[in-house]
Amino acid sequence: MQTPDVNWLAIAPDLALALAAAIILLVEVQWKPRARILGLIAAGSLVVSSGLAVVQWVFAADAVAAGTVSELSAFSGMILMDGYAIFGRFALLVVTAMGIASGWQFFGALGRRCAEGLALVLLATTGFSIMVSSNNLIMLFLGLEVGSIALYVLAGLTREDKKADEAAIKYFLMGSFASAIFVYGVALIYAGTRQLTILGIGDFLGSFIVGSPGVILIGIGLVIVGLGFKVSAAPFHTWAPDVYQGAPAGIVGYLAGVAKIAGFAAMARILLTAVSDFDWSFLPVIAGLAVLSMLLGSILALVQSDVRRMLAYSGVAHAGFILTGIAGFSVDGILFYLAVYAVQLVGAFAVVAAVSGPSGSSSDISLYRGLSRRSPVLAGSLTVLLLGMAGLPLTSGFVAKFGVFADAWFNGHEWLVVVAVLASVIAFAFYLRIVVIMYMEDDDAAPIAVPGLVRWVLGIAVLATLIWGILPGSLLNIVADALPL
Amino acid sequence: MLTALVLAPAVAAIVIALIPSKRAEVHLPLGIALSIVPLGLAGYLFWVFEPMPGYQHAVDAVWYEPWGIGWTLGVDGISLPMVVLTALLVPIALGASTSISKRTKEFVVFTLLLEAGMMGAFVALDMFLFFVFFEAILIPMYFIIGIWGGERRIYASIKFFIYTALGSALMLAAIIGLAFSYTSEFGVTSFALADLMEVTLDQGTERWFFAAFALAFAIKVPLFPLHTWLPDAHVEAPTAGSVLLAAVLLKLGTYGLLRFNLALFPEASVDAVPIMGTIAVIGIIYGAAVAIVQPDLKKLVAYSSVSHLGFIVLGTFALTSGGLQGAVIQNVNHGLTTGALFLLVGMLYDRRHTKAIADFGGLQKVMPVFAGFFLFMTFASIGLPGLNGFVGEFLVLVGSYATLPVLAIIASLGVVLAAIYLLWAYERVFTGEPDKEENKVLVDLSLREIGLLAPIAILVLVIGLFPAVLLDKIGPSTEAVLDHIESSTDYQTPDPGRLDDVYTAGGDS
Repeated sequence: MQTPDVNWLAIAPDLALALAAAIILLVEVQWKPRARILGLIAAGSLVVSSGLAVVQWVFAADAVAAGTVSELSAFSGMILMDGYAIFGRFALLVVTAMGIASGWQFFGALGRRCAEGLALVLLATTGFSIMVSSNNLIMLFLGLEVGSIALYVLAGLTREDKKADEAAIKYFLMGSFASAIFVYGVALIYAGTRQLTILGIGDFLGSFIVGSPGVILIGIGLVIVGLGFKVSAAPFHTWAPDVYQGAPAGIVGYLAGVAKIAGFAAMARILLTAVSDFDWSFLPVIAGLAVLSMLLGSILALVQSDVRRMLAYSGVAHAGFILTGIAGFSVDGILFYLAVYAVQLVGAFAVVAAVSGPSGSSSDISLYRGLSRRSPVLAGSLTVLLLGMAGLPLTSGFVAKFGVFADAWFNGHEWLVVVAVLASVIAFAFYLRIVVIMYMEDDDAAPIAVPGLVRWVLGIAVLATLIWGILPGSLLNIVADALPL
Repeated sequence: MLTALVLAPAVAAIVIALIPSKRAEVHLPLGIALSIVPLGLAGYLFWVFEPMPGYQHAVDAVWYEPWGIGWTLGVDGISLPMVVLTALLVPIALGASTSISKRTKEFVVFTLLLEAGMMGAFVALDMFLFFVFFEAILIPMYFIIGIWGGERRIYASIKFFIYTALGSALMLAAIIGLAFSYTSEFGVTSFALADLMEVTLDQGTERWFFAAFALAFAIKVPLFPLHTWLPDAHVEAPTAGSVLLAAVLLKLGTYGLLRFNLALFPEASVDAVPIMGTIAVIGIIYGAAVAIVQPDLKKLVAYSSVSHLGFIVLGTFALTSGGLQGAVIQNVNHGLTTGALFLLVGMLYDRRHTKAIADFGGLQKVMPVFAGFFLFMTFASIGLPGLNGFVGEFLVLVGSYATLPVLAIIASLGVVLAAIYLLWAYERVFTGEPDKEENKVLVDLSLREIGLLAPIAILVLVIGLFPAVLLDKIGPSTEAVLDHIESSTDYQTPDPGRLDDVYTAGGDS
C-alpha cells in the first residue's frame, strides 16, 4: 500500500500536542495517576512541540535561502510552514507553558478533572496553532473552532462556581456568534474571488480587476468583525470583562493570551497578505476600530475596581494598539507586540491568581493593598509587567508600541498615532493605580506564599519584558525573519 | 567614558538592591559612596573638556540597526554643566536623607536609578535614546514622591506622572514624524540628532513638531500655565526628591528647549520667539507674585523656581550669545541655589516638622549657622553681585534686551520681586526674637549638614566671582547653536547680540 506524500513536518508540532492530549485522557482513565504525572506529560509534549517548531524554523529558513518556498506549503496548500506561522506557534507554546505553570495550583485542585483541563489546554493550543499556520480560510476556521470550543469549556471548568458558569456561557454564546459571522465573511470572499486560500486570494486580487468589489468588501468586513470578537476589539469586547473576571483565575491569562495571539495573527495574515493588493477602502473600519478600542478600553479601565476587569479593558486598549499596527502594515510590529503582550498578560494573571488564591474568585483592587510588603516578589513582578503594558521605556512594551506607531506613521496615519499616544497616557493612570495601592498604601494582611512554578513564570515574564525592552534586537531580529509568504 | 558615566549609577543601584534589606544601616552610606564614582567621572570630564564647539567623548554604537536607533552619546558646553551638577547633587541629596526611616534600600536604589536616567538624558544624542531616558526618569521619581512623600503624596505623584507623560507622548509622535521625514528624504532611517537636524520640513509640519516638543519641555520646566503639578510635587516630595526635582529634573525642560527645539526646528524657533518670550516673562512675574503670598516655606521656594526658570527660557529664546550663555549658566545656578534652599527647608522640617512660615521667627538667634547659609543662598538666588545668580540673570537680561527689549525690562521686575519674597520670608523666619517655645530649643546645623551645604556654597561663590571658569566652556557651544540657526534661517542676531558684542557691552561680567 502506498501512503500519500505528506509533509508531516508542517503539522508535527500540532500532532505532538494533540497526541499528548489523547494520552493524558487515556492514562487518566486507565491508571488514575497523580496530577503531577499528567502535568509532566503535558510539559513533555510542549517541549517536543517546541523542538519540532525549531526544526521547522531551520527548515523554513533553509528553504527561503534556497528559493524553494513551495516546500513550505503542505496538504495541497492548506497549511503553511512560513516563518510567520512558526513564530506564532512558538509564541502560543510559550504562553501555554507559562499558563499551565502559573495555573498549576488550579489544575492540581481540580482533582479528577485535572486531566480534562490539561487536555483542553493542549487541544486549544493545537487549534490556534493550526489557525496561525493555515493558508486556507476553511482550515483557519477549523483551527479557530477547535481552539475556541476548548476555551469555552475551560472557562467553565469549575462547574460549582456560578460566576465561572456564567462566564463560560457568555463566552460560548458570543464566541459562536462571532464564528458564524466569520464563516459568512469567508463565504462572501469566496463568492467574490472563487478562492479559498489566502495566497490564492492575494494572487487573484493582485492580477484581476474585480468587477463588483462590494461582495468582497462585505466579506472582509465580516471577517474583521468575527476576529474582532476573538481579540476583544471594541465594540466587540463586551464578553471580555465578564469572562476575565468569572473564569478560574489560574486559566485566564492563558485564555486571554492565546486568543489574542491567534486572532490577531490570523487577522493580520488575511488583511496584510490576502487582501493587501485590494484597494484599502476598508481602512477606515480598521482605523475606527483601533481608535474606539484604544479610547474605550483605556477610559473604561480607569473606572474598574476589579483588577481582572481592568486587565480585560486594558486588553481592549491593546487590541486597539495592535490594530494601529495593522493599519500601518506592520507585520513584524504586530508579531513583536503579540509576543510581548501575551507574555506580560500571562505573568500579570499569574500574580492575580496568586493574590486571589487558587479557589478565590475575587480580585478586587483592595486585595492588592500593601502587596509590596506582603509579597515583594509578586508586587515587584506585577509592577514591571504593568509598566511594560503601559509602554514605559526600557520595557518591551515601549518597543512594541513604538514599532507599530512608527509603522502607522510611516504609512500615513499620523492622526492615528496621535490618538494612540494620548490613549497610552490615559492608560498610564490605571496601571499606576495598582502600583500605588501595592506600594504606597500599607496593609497588615498576612504575607502571601508564592509557589515555585509561579516564581519561574514571573521571572521569565519580567526578564523577557526587560531584556526585550533594553535590547530589542534580541527579539526583533527573529521577528524580522518571521514574515508570511 | 560617557557610557560609564550613565551606567555607573545604574550598576550602583543594582549593587545596593542585592544587599539584603536587613542590613538597613549600610544602604545609605554605601549609596553615597558609590555615587561619588559618577561625581569623579563628571569632574574628570569637566577637567579635560576642551572649550570647542561640537561634542566630545562621543560614543556611537548601533542599538537596533533597522530602526536607525543608536547608543549615541556626547557632551558639549551645554550639557557638561548639567552633568556635573547632577553628579554633585546626588551624593548631597542622599546625604540629606538620613531622616528617611522606612525602606531606605529602595530609596537609595531609586535615587541612583534616577541619576542614571538624568545622566543619560543629558548626554543622549539620539532622539530615541533621549526619549527613553526622558520618560524612564518618571518611574523612580514617581516612587520617590509616592512612597516617601508627605500627606498628599499619592495625588502629587500621579499628577506629576500623568502631566509629564502627556507632554512627552506628543513629543514621541513628533520624534516618529521627524524620523519619517528623514527617511523619506534620505532613504535611510535614523533617529540621531545630527541626522535629524538635516531634515527639511515644510513650515506647517515644523511648527507642529516644534509645538509638540515645546509642550513636553514646557510641562517639565514648567512654564505658566502648565506649572500646576510642580508645587504639589515639591511640597509632597521628600527633601532629596525636591532637591533633585528642582535642581536637575526641571532642567531637562530648559535643556531640551535649548538643545532640541532650537537645533531641530530653527525656523519655527525664530518664529516662536515672541510667544515663548512672553510665556517666559508671564512665568517670571506670576511665579514671583505667587511666591510672595505663600504661607509655606517649601511652596515659596517652589514658586520661586517657576519664576527663575522663566529667566532661563527667556534667555534661550532671546537667541543671542548672552541669552544662551545666561540660560546655560543659570541652569547651573538655579540648580545650586534652589537645591540648597530645598535642603535648608528640609533640614528645618526635620527639626520642627512644619514648613509654615508663621510657625517660625527669630531663628537667627538659635541657629546662626543655619541662618547664615539661608541668607547666603537667598542672596545668590536674588542675584546679588559677586554670587552666581547675578552672572546668569545679568547675562539673560542683557542678552534678551538686544532682541526683546520690552520683555527684558518686564523680566527685570522679577529680580526685584525675588528680593521681596525671599528677603521678606527671611525676615519672618529668622529675624526678631524667638517667640515660640519650640523654636528656642532648635539645634543648629550639624557638621554633616554643613558638609552638605559647603560645597554648594563654595560653587556659588566661585561661579559668582570667576564666571569665566564655566562661561569659557559654555561659550563655543552656544555660539554653535546660534551659527546653526543663522545658517539655516534668515535670522541674524542683531548687534550687540553675539559673544564679542556682549563682552564689550556687559563689561567684565
